[in-house]
Amino acid sequence: MPKIIRQLFIIGNVLLLLSFAAATVRDNRREWKKYQKKFFVLEAKELEEKIAQEQDPKIKESLRPQLIAKKKIRYEIRQMIVKDLNRIDRCVTCHLGMDPLSNPSLTTNFTENPYKGHPGDFLKTHSPTKYGCTICHQGQGLATETAAAHGRVKHWEEPILEPPFLQASCVRCHANFESISYAQAARAGKEFFRHNGCYGCHAIKGWGGVVSEDLGEVASKPLARLDFSSSGLARKDWNIKNWILLHLTKDPMSFVPGDPEGHLGQPIPPSGMPPFYLDFKKDEANAIASYLLSMHGEKMPHEYYVYAPAAPDPALDSAVARGKHVYEKYGCAGCHGVEAKEGRRNFNALGQGQDAAAPDQIAEMAKGREPTLPDTVGTFTRDELKLKIQNGVPSNNIVKFKADGPTPPLYMPAWKEKIKGQELEDLVTYLLSIAKKGEEW
Amino acid sequence: MSTPSAPPTQEKPGPNGPSRVPWLEKLLGNGFKLPANPEEIKKEVINSQVWRSVFRGGAWKNTPRDRAAHIIGNVWLHLHPVRVRLRSLKFVYSWGMGGISFWLYLLLTISGILLMFYYRPTPEMAFRDMKDLEFAISYGWFWRNLHRWCAHAMVVTVILHMIRVFLTGSYKTPREFNWVLGVTLLTLTLFLSFTGYLLPWDQLALWAVTVGTNMAGATPLLGNEGPFSSLLGMRINNDIRFGLLGGTAVGEATLIRFYVLHCVFVPVVAGAMLMLHFWRVRKDSFSAAPYAPDEEKFETWPHLISREYVAAALVTVGVIVWSLLINAPLEEAANPTVTPNPSKAPWYFLGLQELLVYFDPWIAGVLLPNIIIVGLAAIPYIDSNPKGVGYYSFKERPFANWMFLFGCALWFILIAIGTYFRGPSWGWYWPWEDWAVHKPPPPSTWSIPNLAGGPLVGLYFALGMALPRLVRKELEWRLAVPTVGILSVAAGLSLKIIHTLLVGKVAFFAKNIPHFGAGAFMLIALFLFVVVFFGFLLPQRYIRNLALPKYAMTMVLVLMMLGVLLKMGARLGFNVKYVFSIPQVNFNI
Repeated sequence: MPKIIRQLFIIGNVLLLLSFAAATVRDNRREWKKYQKKFFVLEAKELEEKIAQEQDPKIKESLRPQLIAKKKIRYEIRQMIVKDLNRIDRCVTCHLGMDPLSNPSLTTNFTENPYKGHPGDFLKTHSPTKYGCTICHQGQGLATETAAAHGRVKHWEEPILEPPFLQASCVRCHANFESISYAQAARAGKEFFRHNGCYGCHAIKGWGGVVSEDLGEVASKPLARLDFSSSGLARKDWNIKNWILLHLTKDPMSFVPGDPEGHLGQPIPPSGMPPFYLDFKKDEANAIASYLLSMHGEKMPHEYYVYAPAAPDPALDSAVARGKHVYEKYGCAGCHGVEAKEGRRNFNALGQGQDAAAPDQIAEMAKGREPTLPDTVGTFTRDELKLKIQNGVPSNNIVKFKADGPTPPLYMPAWKEKIKGQELEDLVTYLLSIAKKGEEW
Repeated sequence: MSTPSAPPTQEKPGPNGPSRVPWLEKLLGNGFKLPANPEEIKKEVINSQVWRSVFRGGAWKNTPRDRAAHIIGNVWLHLHPVRVRLRSLKFVYSWGMGGISFWLYLLLTISGILLMFYYRPTPEMAFRDMKDLEFAISYGWFWRNLHRWCAHAMVVTVILHMIRVFLTGSYKTPREFNWVLGVTLLTLTLFLSFTGYLLPWDQLALWAVTVGTNMAGATPLLGNEGPFSSLLGMRINNDIRFGLLGGTAVGEATLIRFYVLHCVFVPVVAGAMLMLHFWRVRKDSFSAAPYAPDEEKFETWPHLISREYVAAALVTVGVIVWSLLINAPLEEAANPTVTPNPSKAPWYFLGLQELLVYFDPWIAGVLLPNIIIVGLAAIPYIDSNPKGVGYYSFKERPFANWMFLFGCALWFILIAIGTYFRGPSWGWYWPWEDWAVHKPPPPSTWSIPNLAGGPLVGLYFALGMALPRLVRKELEWRLAVPTVGILSVAAGLSLKIIHTLLVGKVAFFAKNIPHFGAGAFMLIALFLFVVVFFGFLLPQRYIRNLALPKYAMTMVLVLMMLGVLLKMGARLGFNVKYVFSIPQVNFNI
């Protein structure tokens, strides 16, 4: 046999052994073991201190076996199999203080994660053995490594929810969430959503306008359907929470720019969503996101839902006040402004002060506006106004600023199936009441 | 086997001299003596009754007879000859690729069986079991990574093995049939890998298999989207794709089908074919040339076995290190309602997927792969050149080698393009470009009218077949090659000039070929040169005197291969969609 074969035989065998050894080392050095060890050490230390402070020698003696037991660390993956929700949550592998099996009290004196107990008294009413962890917190229950378990890795689309967005999980089941003290941000979010007329374009499970997409299952929208390329966000931050927040804290035109000048083919308008970021404070944006993140497509067993009757319309005396309520209820404010103050942006609709010769045509097209109602409703008779609301204004009836530019993204849907009868009468009364008084003809 | 085993030696082995551990020997009594050194221990073990009962043969004296008996008397080793020629031992000759492929097959079997203990082939469980393997099961990540990377490695080594066998002419008489077996095994390897691709049940798996199996739907006659399928009444729910998937889309029925195919059916078939393959290697003898009757031979044990062991050990180290460094991919759980953009087939099929840009699926996904397989299998029967068996020679087999390597290069270039240069909507993205950047859609295409396109295709094949044979004179190579090069560039250049002159004047150009840039001109010149070189110069020089049937078969394969290139040029340079089209029966070329 040539010498080289003998040498390769030895080298090959040594390398084989080394690589097997490396695999064994890697397999045995799992991240969660570190946390289990630390937890047991902390527990043992606590017990030792207790023994040291204990005066009664009898009790002192009786505690010793406990200490010895604590010092014998048995590493094991701990998990909660949540049958109803079809989940297996291994979070308690590291978060031992929250494991109902090894720590039935679910409280510890440790203040740091992952050793501390679960804050608040949620687990008293939401037994972790029944609900698990991820149904509220999201993240990846099957994983046993920090980054993967918290869902902050590629190919896991639901990273762990942090306050206040965690409140979305309350809303998923509790239709009465507005009365839950913990879910106040979501409550505020729902109110902002209504007040700013989001319903006008975005229905939620069928309730609302059809201009843009139904947000009824927005929280489980696949990332593949979102285009973050113009968002300026790092790839690791691409998730649905940030997508919703983007719409509320930045100009939607900036990250859904479309292709208004038709560089890639037919001109495509940018996002039609008005620049609400000008009006919203950070808290308000977070509140709306906390509410919307509850709109999850995953179905749960019906007994998990807490039902609540829909809030009744307030009893109002005057037709104008009732009309104003109708205006808010159906989201007219989304396009025509809160309290009908000013029409919102409608890209490439004919607006005021547009200059066809300006160098930045995109900026000029962005000056297009939805009608500002006090200026326009006065030109209609009561019946004409009703007809307008009932039939809406389809996008091909909207006068464009640039004829060969993109179709303006916003239009007025026909409301005749939704706003009718007394509500329509009241709405028209309200609108006519705010009309600017022009010259008498 | 008639090797009589020598009776075990009766003499008591053991050292002469003072005992080394007296108290122990005293304790054991009966004059027991401990062996003094490793050699003694080895002797003791080998001569023990247990050892002798397991391994046939007499006491190991390391004689040639012993070493021969070691091979003959061992069911696993006896596919080897007892002695091998030096030439067939050489790594530079065989590359060891056949043996390494088989070792990877064994590693895949071992790791695959281990994975089967945990894996449940249902949509609810499969993905979860992947996560369990990664996060909860001891060594789960290790065996899954190993299985995945061995599978990729095996596809590569099997192809390299084929290239080696081709280049050494080892498929020639009497080994034609073993080459055919090898081509079948290559196909089975790809199919094994492909069926395994679905099992993790993540987005990568679901959509790669969707892309791959959609091709089956384009099968002529038998697939609902294939040409002439309406004649047989093919619909989406009764065609060949439906049979493969067990449904109209990849779903739970597909998963269990692919699972059974992957774990039982294909491995068993491949295993049976492997036995046949090895058996024929043994019977037809190893190819390395030249044969000399008095050639010095080496004993298989230890010379060949040690090399095999070393190769297997180093390959194992390689795949283990690979598994340690890179985890097998696992994307989101499979979701039939979310199509990733782009959806890519497994890498070894990406060349064919790239061809979907230029051809309808029935050509790119069905016709071409089948012609490649059949064409490869036919090679030993149409290559009548008796020279070059058992050694590398471009001088003696220029036509076969260059043509084969050209085909391989085309296959791998297309794979590289599909893998590294294609992004969302199958647009062209350089590897360093971000896929988030939006690209303009490809230019609109036009089809050559059938009355022109049909004759064009006919002319291509007729001239391609006839010209190399009609020119009887030996062409001066040094003159011919540069001439063709210059003519190709001139042709490309004149096309560019014609286009520049006419694009403003003739509506046809403005509408169908608005751009014909420098890139297109150079590409067309290159394609023309390659087509003329491989389609005319090479056959004219080397096979014009071949017997007509073999010549015709060779040229049909060559012209089809080059036709792929021509169609690519027609699309890239002139935006041609079809050269011939009967949309009523989905027959489009």
